Amino acid sequence: MLQAIILVLAQVTVLLAVSPFLVGLIRKVKARLQLRRGASVLQPYADLAKLFQKQPVISTTASWVFTATPYIVFASTLSAGLLVPTFISLNPMNFAGNIIALVYLLALGTFFLILAGLDAGSAFGGMGSSREAIVASLTEPAMILSIFAIALTNGSTNLSTIVHRTALLEGTVTDPSPQLMALAALFIVALAETGRVPVDNPATHLELTMIHEAMILEYSGRYLALLEWAAGLKLALFLSLIANVFAPWGIATTAAPAAMMIGLLVYLAKTAALAVVIGIIECMFAKLRLFRVTDLLGVAFILGLLGLLFFYTLRS
Amino acid sequence: MQVLSYSGSQLVDLCSALLLLTCFAIVAQRRLSACVDLFALQSAFLVVTTALVAYLTGNQHLYVAAALTGVIKVIIIPRVLKKVIDRLNVKRELVMYVTVPAGLLICGGLVMLAFFISQPIIPLGFLLTRDSLAIALAIVLIGLFTMIARQKAVTQLVGFLVLENGLFLGATAATYGMPLIVELGVFFDVLIATLIAGIYTNRLQDAFDSVDTNQLTVLKE
Repeated sequence: MLQAIILVLAQVTVLLAVSPFLVGLIRKVKARLQLRRGASVLQPYADLAKLFQKQPVISTTASWVFTATPYIVFASTLSAGLLVPTFISLNPMNFAGNIIALVYLLALGTFFLILAGLDAGSAFGGMGSSREAIVASLTEPAMILSIFAIALTNGSTNLSTIVHRTALLEGTVTDPSPQLMALAALFIVALAETGRVPVDNPATHLELTMIHEAMILEYSGRYLALLEWAAGLKLALFLSLIANVFAPWGIATTAAPAAMMIGLLVYLAKTAALAVVIGIIECMFAKLRLFRVTDLLGVAFILGLLGLLFFYTLRS
Repeated sequence: MQVLSYSGSQLVDLCSALLLLTCFAIVAQRRLSACVDLFALQSAFLVVTTALVAYLTGNQHLYVAAALTGVIKVIIIPRVLKKVIDRLNVKRELVMYVTVPAGLLICGGLVMLAFFISQPIIPLGFLLTRDSLAIALAIVLIGLFTMIARQKAVTQLVGFLVLENGLFLGATAATYGMPLIVELGVFFDVLIATLIAGIYTNRLQDAFDSVDTNQLTVLKE
């Protein structure tokens, strides 16, 4: 019991500590590829610390939704993060929810962000919210389909069980074709959900194309810090999901200290590598026009569907 | 040996699935040069798949086929197509008969069809290429669809080449490669077809100031 609590706390700490680093790493990779020196990878930590000390300014027209949203978004993203195994495959929170619960915890955060964008009454916020609603409604079917494809090939919807089973196979992926389709779909979904380049540009402010930044434009001080941190958490969550479900090699399968240390190091290496890949993608591709985003998410949807098809028609 | 052939079969499946993945990227792509790049990538995956099958089955002549695929489809044909695109000075294809999302849905349906058709055959086949036959059929159908759905001559050519990739994958999967002389003939055919279609596209541009094949319907004697 005590061990379970310690493991949960360790898991939370790892997720919270790693997420600003991943954001910083992506920025650094982008800067280096654009022949700039770039800020230190630890800059997001300093930003968060600074924002937490500042006094928030709230619009006089804003209702309780505006002040409650940062806490709801942060809490829902963090509780979704608890369901994803990070460095150990035996997650003590496994009983509490499966991947479907994870999808809807994330959707809860998105829903409140959309409300908060509308709440302050600024023109940008409303625009960001309506765009986010388009993207969210298109990513959800793609994400659910790819998750079902993963769940079917592993015979469980509980993330920890999936990762544990795959990890025990020691290096052989159970069924490559549906997994590959699901991986591609989930990667596109991850880019869209975390507001990365082909869909949204996290590096710009006050531009007509932004989605996530437009919704949180009215936030300042500790509220902004919480939302930024929550966005980083969501990124870390998707990267751990991709790294651990599709390549669970090296993750600790027992609670032995040595295995957990190796698991932690491997986890850091894998998520950092994925962050570098995202940084490279952000440099290689231009942001899509908003009405082309549907094409990209359509690809994700079809790929998720193909993952299921492989399973149902070819394996039955 | 059993373990090797099991993980080998998984690797072949993985590479075939990558081929299918690039197919969908080609269908979703609007820029001509990116389509050509994706075709080169798809051919590279085909090279890996063929080499893997050659290694796992010990059919030496498949190595020759893989090398030829590498030279012709990864290097020569994309270069020829890039030259054609440069000369035509068209960057993107704005005219399509079906929109991209509808095209993707149709392709999903085609894959479903291909899987259902090949489902009864698969248990009869070899262990090594469990998914490849179904995927090959799907790629052939998607290539055909690309040829029908796109208006510009260059993308129709890419569709033809994708179709040919599917046929080659099917041949490798079902029979572990055709006799070498047949493969050589096919490669030569594809290369010549691409060259002729490239020249034809240039003539089309000269005659109509456009590579829209729709304009050919107004030709009169």
